[in-house]
Amino acid sequence: MEFEFLIDGALRKISLEKKEKMYVIRDGETILETEIRPVSENELMFLVGGRSSRVYIARDGERRLVFTGGRKFVVCESLHEAGHFLGGDERTPERGRHVKAPMPGKVIKLNVALGEDVRKNQTLVIVEAMKMENEIKSAIEGTVKKIHVAAGDLVDSEKSLIEIEPKR
Amino acid sequence: MFKKVLIANRGEIAVRVIRACRDMGIATVAVHSEADKLSLHVQLADEAVPIGPAPPAESYLNMGRIIRATHDTRSEAIHPGYGFLAENADFARLCEKEGIVFIGPNSGALALVGDKVRARRTMEKAGIPIIPGMKAILKSVTEFEAAARSIGYPVIVKASAGGGGKGMRIVCGEKDLRPALEAGMREAKSAFGDESVYLEKYIEESRHVEFQVLADNAGAMVHLFERECSIQRRHQKIVEETPSPALDPDLRARMAETAKKAMRAAGYNNAGTVEFLLDKDRNFYFLEVNARLQVEHPVTELVTGVDLVRRQILIAAGEKLTLRQEDLHQRGHAIECRICAEDPENNFLPSSGKISFLKEPQGPGVRYDGGIYGGWEVPIYYDPILAKLIVWAEDREMACRRMAAALDDFVILGIHTTIGFLKDIIHHPEFRAGRTNTAFIKNYFDGWKESGKNEDKLRLALAAAAFDDMAAATRPGGGPAREAKEDAAAPWKTLGRWRIGGAGSHGI
Repeated sequence: MEFEFLIDGALRKISLEKKEKMYVIRDGETILETEIRPVSENELMFLVGGRSSRVYIARDGERRLVFTGGRKFVVCESLHEAGHFLGGDERTPERGRHVKAPMPGKVIKLNVALGEDVRKNQTLVIVEAMKMENEIKSAIEGTVKKIHVAAGDLVDSEKSLIEIEPKR
Repeated sequence: MFKKVLIANRGEIAVRVIRACRDMGIATVAVHSEADKLSLHVQLADEAVPIGPAPPAESYLNMGRIIRATHDTRSEAIHPGYGFLAENADFARLCEKEGIVFIGPNSGALALVGDKVRARRTMEKAGIPIIPGMKAILKSVTEFEAAARSIGYPVIVKASAGGGGKGMRIVCGEKDLRPALEAGMREAKSAFGDESVYLEKYIEESRHVEFQVLADNAGAMVHLFERECSIQRRHQKIVEETPSPALDPDLRARMAETAKKAMRAAGYNNAGTVEFLLDKDRNFYFLEVNARLQVEHPVTELVTGVDLVRRQILIAAGEKLTLRQEDLHQRGHAIECRICAEDPENNFLPSSGKISFLKEPQGPGVRYDGGIYGGWEVPIYYDPILAKLIVWAEDREMACRRMAAALDDFVILGIHTTIGFLKDIIHHPEFRAGRTNTAFIKNYFDGWKESGKNEDKLRLALAAAAFDDMAAATRPGGGPAREAKEDAAAPWKTLGRWRIGGAGSHGI
């Protein structure tokens, strides 16, 4: 079977075929024959060339969280999911318009008012989570167009807090 | 000795205290908020009492409910852990009035050292070096501005009522003073219920070195050497070790004597820590007394062989200190890493949600103090500390290697953690050389990204995902996505849309 995954945000193809008791991994030029044994719901044992490696895996919706050799990977199913995965990226201007809560928490303070001009990196809102204050800054220069929250509000992550009209 | 102790805390420290009580044959009572009813400390204690809604002010800081739970369960003493009510003199006084033993210092000493400004005055009077700064609480921003000018920028805003980095802000110029004061006051208010802040000179390139002290109720006192806690982020310690690579026997002895003198000046009893700032010319200054068990206490336990929680309980029960200074020695080297639910690649934003898989490291000299389990949902309301990993080895280099290997073996899936970040700290050549100061993270780890993901690991991860995909097709539910959707609308779960346990998966 051919698979197309986004691993830590990068597109990768891999093929996995069952061949009797073994599996064949094809990754570009690399071909590996391996035995794969599920050890528990979250553990897979790979046996490649007589050498065993343990891989830990957990599922989050369409994403898989994989741990092997001391490193953690996020493996997504599709491009659609990739958008969700890259949700924290604020480089695109479209993203900068909608200022979202990066984590669940409580709005402590609004530092800007409706219609106010804001600079890039200006603190817009302060959201408290786990007893620490986190300053949510503007990714772009512009004007405050809408404010969706008030001080004291509990917000979920990805909740839109403020909308900024970018400066032309 | 006490028959039953109530632990007025949560998370890893509640678990730690419960274990010490078990070792001593003391029954334990856990208290918990609504957000913590499934937490590990609740499951480990002999009894558990709900004390209110999730916000700390309505549960873990609610003195009335905690006192009532203590009486209702006929507990004789309260261990406050760290944070919450641990350094609240009103609470200690209330316990004294209610005939409950507060496992900590007497309320008078607690009030003195808890008021950081008053403590500074007391220490200065006792001849202990303090950092230049305010010796009284001011009200208006104008007064603060004048104080800051006379101290000289950069200054640091500190909460008068507490430590742990809460409320702290470094200010480099007058224009930043007002927002720093406001933020510091809000954070102090929410963490300690007291918004008073003060200013101190900010000393750059300094180390944070603290001394552990034990004092019984009759005034006998020993120190248990130092802990070096210079590796800090946002004034929160993240890696601690002992012995400090910065001390020699002479400096160590002088600082230890000063620590004991500070505790005597405060009329202190039980376990406490005197924090010092050590500047680059090896001058040391009194910072504050931490009147509680510290997060980083295990490193001291590993090098001295003294169980600090047990000693706290013995002292609180009125027993005489049986430790003698001349019998205490530092044996080998210990390092602790704090494992927090934060995303180090994304400005350390708190990461709540379900821990879908957990495997703790093991091995000789590896200690794990945790308050979590696989399948548990990390609430947003409390400190992000999930667990502590502590290693001991014969020398520092071995301890570093042991810590690096243990971090490599530590699997937490489902939420972001600081494990990868900590690993790189331990591997850093400056850390390895022992050349650390409180700006270490800022200087070397700004904009940190995880590295070390080679092709072999990547390929294995992809193959595992592919295998899981093929296995999912044969599952009754038709794959992992289905259950996730049902849950998606639930509040607070955006970061934690995990499937539950074994339902719909291939058999174990």
